[in-house]
Amino acid sequence: MNTIAQDESAVVIIGSGAGGGTMAYELTKAGIPCVVLEAGKHFSINDWVNDEWEAFGQMAWLDTRTTSGSWRVARDFSGLPTWLVKAVGGTTTHWAGATPRFLDYEFKALSTYGEIEGATLLDWPLDLEEMVPYYNAAEKAIGSTHVHGRPPLPANNNYKVFANGAERVGYTRYATGPYGTNAEPYDDRPGSIQDGFNFQGDKNGSKWSTLVREIPRALKTGLCDLRPQSHAVKITHDASGKADAVLYVDKDGNLQRQAAKVVCVAGNSIETPRLLLLSDSNQFPNGLANGSDQVGRNYMRHMTGSMYAWFEKPVHMYRGETMAGIIKDEVQNDPSRGFVGGYYMETLALGPAFLSSFIEPGAWGRDFTKMMDAYCNMAGMWLVGEDMPQASNRVTLSDTARDQWDLPAPNVHFDDHPNDVAMRTYAYEKAEALYKSVGAIGTHRTPPYPSTHNLGTCRMSANPEDGVVDKWGRAHDVPNLFVSDGSVMTTGAAANPTLTIVALAIRQAEFLAGELKKGNL
Amino acid sequence: MEVSRRRLLIGTVSTLALAVGLPASFPALSAENAAVGTDAEAKKLLLRMVRVVYPHDQFPDAPYERTVDAIIAAGNKTPGQKLMFAAGIGGLRAASFGNMDEAKATEYCRGIEQSAFFGLVRSTAVVALYNDQEVWKILKYEGPSFDQGGYIDRGFNDLDWLPDPRITEKG
Repeated sequence: MNTIAQDESAVVIIGSGAGGGTMAYELTKAGIPCVVLEAGKHFSINDWVNDEWEAFGQMAWLDTRTTSGSWRVARDFSGLPTWLVKAVGGTTTHWAGATPRFLDYEFKALSTYGEIEGATLLDWPLDLEEMVPYYNAAEKAIGSTHVHGRPPLPANNNYKVFANGAERVGYTRYATGPYGTNAEPYDDRPGSIQDGFNFQGDKNGSKWSTLVREIPRALKTGLCDLRPQSHAVKITHDASGKADAVLYVDKDGNLQRQAAKVVCVAGNSIETPRLLLLSDSNQFPNGLANGSDQVGRNYMRHMTGSMYAWFEKPVHMYRGETMAGIIKDEVQNDPSRGFVGGYYMETLALGPAFLSSFIEPGAWGRDFTKMMDAYCNMAGMWLVGEDMPQASNRVTLSDTARDQWDLPAPNVHFDDHPNDVAMRTYAYEKAEALYKSVGAIGTHRTPPYPSTHNLGTCRMSANPEDGVVDKWGRAHDVPNLFVSDGSVMTTGAAANPTLTIVALAIRQAEFLAGELKKGNL
Repeated sequence: MEVSRRRLLIGTVSTLALAVGLPASFPALSAENAAVGTDAEAKKLLLRMVRVVYPHDQFPDAPYERTVDAIIAAGNKTPGQKLMFAAGIGGLRAASFGNMDEAKATEYCRGIEQSAFFGLVRSTAVVALYNDQEVWKILKYEGPSFDQGGYIDRGFNDLDWLPDPRITEKG
């Protein structure tokens, strides 16, 4: 591995997940040396465990966080607003693998939906046409099934229930993907052995993550200085207002400084705005890149919910690829349903260990245990759709709570918008009808889990007053500061975000490499 | 094996407790402090309580007993927890909880549902009980799969009560 001196002004990438890991590979591939600061440890796939709670303890981001607002997560899991990973590879080690693209209308939310009371809708400063080449590149990087000649995954038991139900209620657009796990060997990774445990890292290495693809390839270029257990705590700037260094805490708790000519922040939608807010100064009293007061605002987590259903006969939903099943029929803007935007239905399975904690948090007694007793005969799906951006849904620095470094912890405030509630209710009804059509004898509406899709908080905008970064993810206020993760999303669309984060990072890396070569940075 | 598994479980439970916002740690207890809830009567009351909170007629006592061990560990973590835990067990004793039928015992639990004691018992039990390998077997969950080659040759698609659906979109 290349070592870059701490006093050498380098391209510094903060985070190694879908955004940061992709940036590291794309930039080093283009001949640009990078320092990657990753807060978590560097595990290998051999370290992962097929055990839900043990893996959670190993991987999850459990630094102090607080919550507020009317969302149920704040009541049931007050210290755990999200379910993200602290490790090299970030949350790509935990993602299931669904890779739908955003649709064209979803880049034009304000134009398509019109003004919605209480929502801060905006059109993206880019569109699908501009994104297509980068979506193609991202799908090839990930190895998505169903596209670019990649074969589909076979139907597992949970999918058989899901797809038969889809057919019977009249849906037509169902399939086992696109999905970011190999059906057959591809790109030096093996085909799936249907071992489940996608959320626990995937020991088989069939699932794409930056841990198994981008990071090792970046290291192989000899240009990447990967520093695990290096937690960025402040970005400093020079008198001209350009970022000039990143301060970080190493594994021994010592404060370190890495000089920077460019900083790319990819800490996911909680830590990214938190770091900018922690980087306040006399020149930037509200935090770095926050002249618009938009840093931390418009936090989105997708409209989510789950439906579990049980049957007379066995399903064994946990066997096989967790989310290799998707229905696209409800992804359209049809306000006659009582809400704007759309949602996907996707297969989902949990083991008894997690299902007991999440199927109905806090529940107990016979009504609860009858669901657990039906475990073997249970099928499950996740409902994931576009939620409305709201200025008051916001990541801020806590006045009271502090993390392990004695820095203000992030507080995550969230209230559902009425559109989110209407969409969730509608989606539950559709999911129930689907499972009943194939003989469900019981169903349960499971509320949203701690958020895995964390979006917004540093959104992209054409007008600097409306957001934090421009169409390249470059901060409106700081020319050599980039945001390289899902924080930049202007609106959330219905799709699982990883593919779009990777596509945006490939595009941003191309732009950044060009600017560096032209001497503009 | 069993000891290390239990220790792991207790560690996991405390991680979760931390994650969901239970109080942070107090100064460590000295070893001579007597543990709360370890006498036979208290264990019996706690076992009954867990069976009422998470009733599964087909589960034997063993996983419930391991769950009670996890609850005792959680209830003894700090002086504050100990005081609360001792008071909660005292409440069960005073109410003759051990002599109540399931309906009465459930009603009692509903009455204390908002208490810290009930919260400790329920939140610890929901993790410990359903993370128990004996429980997994009863629920027909097969646990770790990678070491056995996944399910590719072990039934990932053996559901035969519905037709085989297509796996790609039409057209």
